[in-house]
Formats: sequence, structure tokens, C-alpha cells
Amino acid sequence: MERQTINKNKRVFSAEPTKLSPSEVFTRKYTSHLVPALKKLNMDKNSPQINQLTVKHEVDMALALSAQEFAWSRFLLEKLSSSNNPTTTISSSSNGTRIPERSCKEDEDGEIEEKLRELQKLLPGGEEMNVEEMLIEIGNYIKCLELQTSALKSIVQDTT
Amino acid sequence: MDLSVLERVKWLQQQQMVSPEFFEILGSDGREELRRVESYLGNNNDELQSFRHYETIDGCISRTSSFQMEQVKNNEENRVIALQNKRKTEGKTEKRENKKKKIKTEDETESSMKGKSNMSNSETSSEIEKRDYIHVRARRGEATDRHSLAERARREKLSKKMKCLQDIVPGCNKVTGKAGMLDEIINYVQSLQQQVEFLSMKLSVLNPELEFHINELSTKQFQACFTDLPEAVSKQSMMVDASSFPLHQTTSLDYSVKNSNQTISLGSKEQTSWEIHSQCLYNNLRTDSVSNFFSFK
Repeated sequence: MERQTINKNKRVFSAEPTKLSPSEVFTRKYTSHLVPALKKLNMDKNSPQINQLTVKHEVDMALALSAQEFAWSRFLLEKLSSSNNPTTTISSSSNGTRIPERSCKEDEDGEIEEKLRELQKLLPGGEEMNVEEMLIEIGNYIKCLELQTSALKSIVQDTT
Repeated sequence: MDLSVLERVKWLQQQQMVSPEFFEILGSDGREELRRVESYLGNNNDELQSFRHYETIDGCISRTSSFQMEQVKNNEENRVIALQNKRKTEGKTEKRENKKKKIKTEDETESSMKGKSNMSNSETSSEIEKRDYIHVRARRGEATDRHSLAERARREKLSKKMKCLQDIVPGCNKVTGKAGMLDEIINYVQSLQQQVEFLSMKLSVLNPELEFHINELSTKQFQACFTDLPEAVSKQSMMVDASSFPLHQTTSLDYSVKNSNQTISLGSKEQTSWEIHSQCLYNNLRTDSVSNFFSFK
């Protein structure tokens, strides 16, 4: 009941057509890409176990498609469409690569540069941008990742 | 300056300091505001004249208030902020001018410790200058050759962007210095990516059941979820219903828990707040109700 009333309030709120924050736009696009893709996966594969990597692929694809105004999404799309066998694209490569901090001050700049390079590796297509661009894109990427995680959470939640 | 208010404003306009709207905004309070504004200009009038000739600046003049007048140009909010900023920096520039010798590093540390207002100062001023060409003020005691000026311009751009990132990444406020912040950002991005991977793994398991539930989902429900976004993301609490998971799922969950613990413990020396949350995220398997999620409003 509570949920319904809350939903009603939200519905009234969201009935205003003009005000759409970019995060809402993104999440709508994302869910509209992801959900049909998952459905399709469900219907196509009659085998009992849906490949985890394919789901990851769809998840990443949905991310890339819903954020097309950013440079990193283009790189991500390219990466996804070029690889026929979808491998775990992003996170596996960066697991456990931590640079030990150097206390020497002379190396400070080098340390910062190394960290920037690592950040570039995390961002899809980051290595092909210069540092300034990369920092801007990282900001957008983080935002979209956050929205993506909350979208996924709500999808998972609604199915449990 | 014995000019009347009108003449003064016209002079300001000529100097391209003030847009025509400024005069309209002034209104009845205008004269007082203008007097305040003028007082800054008046002190440094000579410098202002020389300021127009970009080539002659050797860089030995520290930041003057006339330098900051350019910000007034934009809109009213900027004007208010600019006035406040000017008052702050006015005091600082005076102090600097009083001191005779300054060590280079001292200057730099001072600049790095300045508040947000000064950052926005240099931001807008350097933005406005970029229209013509990159023009950087060298501070007292610093090198004035082109390379170091360009280098400083580049560094200022970088630090400006780092500041933006600081606003996005939670927990960055406590860490100072570029290296620490970059560390935080890297950790945050990695943890977000791991979350996504984890969630997609869960989704792949739940997918057969997805079909039944998807039809119940309406876009408005999604909207309801997503308007809570800021709170939900900041709290970083994951709603995991352990009881609904089939047995084999728990083993894969354990795997991901170990995995994430490893990566998190490797990275951080101090436990920042969001790291603690993300660990709770993987470790806490609480039974959840949907109303909890909505209660974050």
C-alpha cells in the first residue's frame, strides 16, 4: 500500500513532461536497452544456463548505447562490437594492479603520472586521449557507472 | 576618480569589464555597488592601464583586483560571488605586496591551499583570457619564461579538473594532494566496475525468472526508483535477498566476496567511508523489503 501511494505521488511528480534530468534520461535509455536485450536472451537460448559473459556483454552494450554523447562510449561500442567472443571487458584486467606508493619526493610527479596512466587503462578508450580529456571523461564515466549500478540493482531487486 | 557614475560605467564598458546588463542590474543600489567596485579599480588604475598591453607584463605584478574585474561581466550570481572573492583576495594581494621576498615553493603551496573562491577566480579569468591567447600571471618570485608559464597553465587546468572529480567521487574531500585523490578515484572506478560485474552475474542467474517479472515492471516504477538515486548511491547499501538464492548461487557469491576483499585490502591503507560501505555491500546479506529502498527519500 505504501509503495502504491509513493508510486502515485511519484507518478504525479513525473507527469511533468519538461523536467528530465540527464540522470533520468540515462537510466531510462539504459533500462530500455537492457531489458529487451535480456528478454531476447531468455527467449533465444533455450539452454538452461545463460552464459554469464553474454549478460555482461549486454550490460556493457546497454551502457554504451545509452551514453552516446561521450567519447568513452564510442570506444566501448567499438570494443564490444569488434569482439565476437565477449570477454569480460573492463574489470578483470584491473584487478590487483596496485602501484606501491613511493615516499621519495622526486618521484612524485612520476607517481602521479603512473596513476593517471592507470586511470586511463580503466576508462575504455582512455589510452587514446590526452590527460585533460581523460579527466573530463572519467567524470562522466563514473556518473554513468553509478547510474548503471543502481539500474541493475533495481532490476535485480524487482525480479527477486 | 571624479567621474560621475554614468561616466564611470561607460569607462568600465569601454574597458570591456562590464556588460551593458550590469548597468541595468545596478538599479537603485547601483551607485553603492559601483562605488565598491570602483574602489578596487581605483586603487590599481595605473596597473589597469598597463594591463591592457599584454606584451609589457613581465609577470612581476601579483594578482591585482583589477585582474579579477573581468568576472563581473557574466551574470548576476557571478557578480555577487566575484565581489565576495575580490574582498578576500584583495586582502591577500595586499599582504603579498607588502612582503618583499617570496620563495617560489611558498607561493605554490599558498596557491594550492587557497579556497574554492580563488580557484574559481583563476578559472574564469583564465577562461576569459583564453579567448585571445593563453595568458598567465606569474606570481612574485616565479619564473617568467614561456615554458614555465605554459606549464603552470597546464597544471592549473589539471587541478581544476581534479576539483570537479573531487565533487563526484565521494570521500575525496578528506584526501589532499593529487596522488591521494587519484588513488581514491581509481579505487572508486574499480569498485564501481566490480559492482557492475557482480550485478550482471546475479542477473545472469536470475535471468530465467526475469521474464515473469519484467512484464510487471512499468517505466514509472523505474522512475520511482531512480529519483532516489543520489541517496541510494551514496548509501551504497546493497539489497540482497539471501533466502531467494538457490544453493549454487551462494558459492559464487562467496567467490565474489573473497575477490572484492582482496582487491580492496590491497589498495587501501586507510579505510575511507565509501570503502567500508562497499565491503558491507558484499558482506551484508540482509533480507530486504522494497519499502526499505523507497525509504531513502
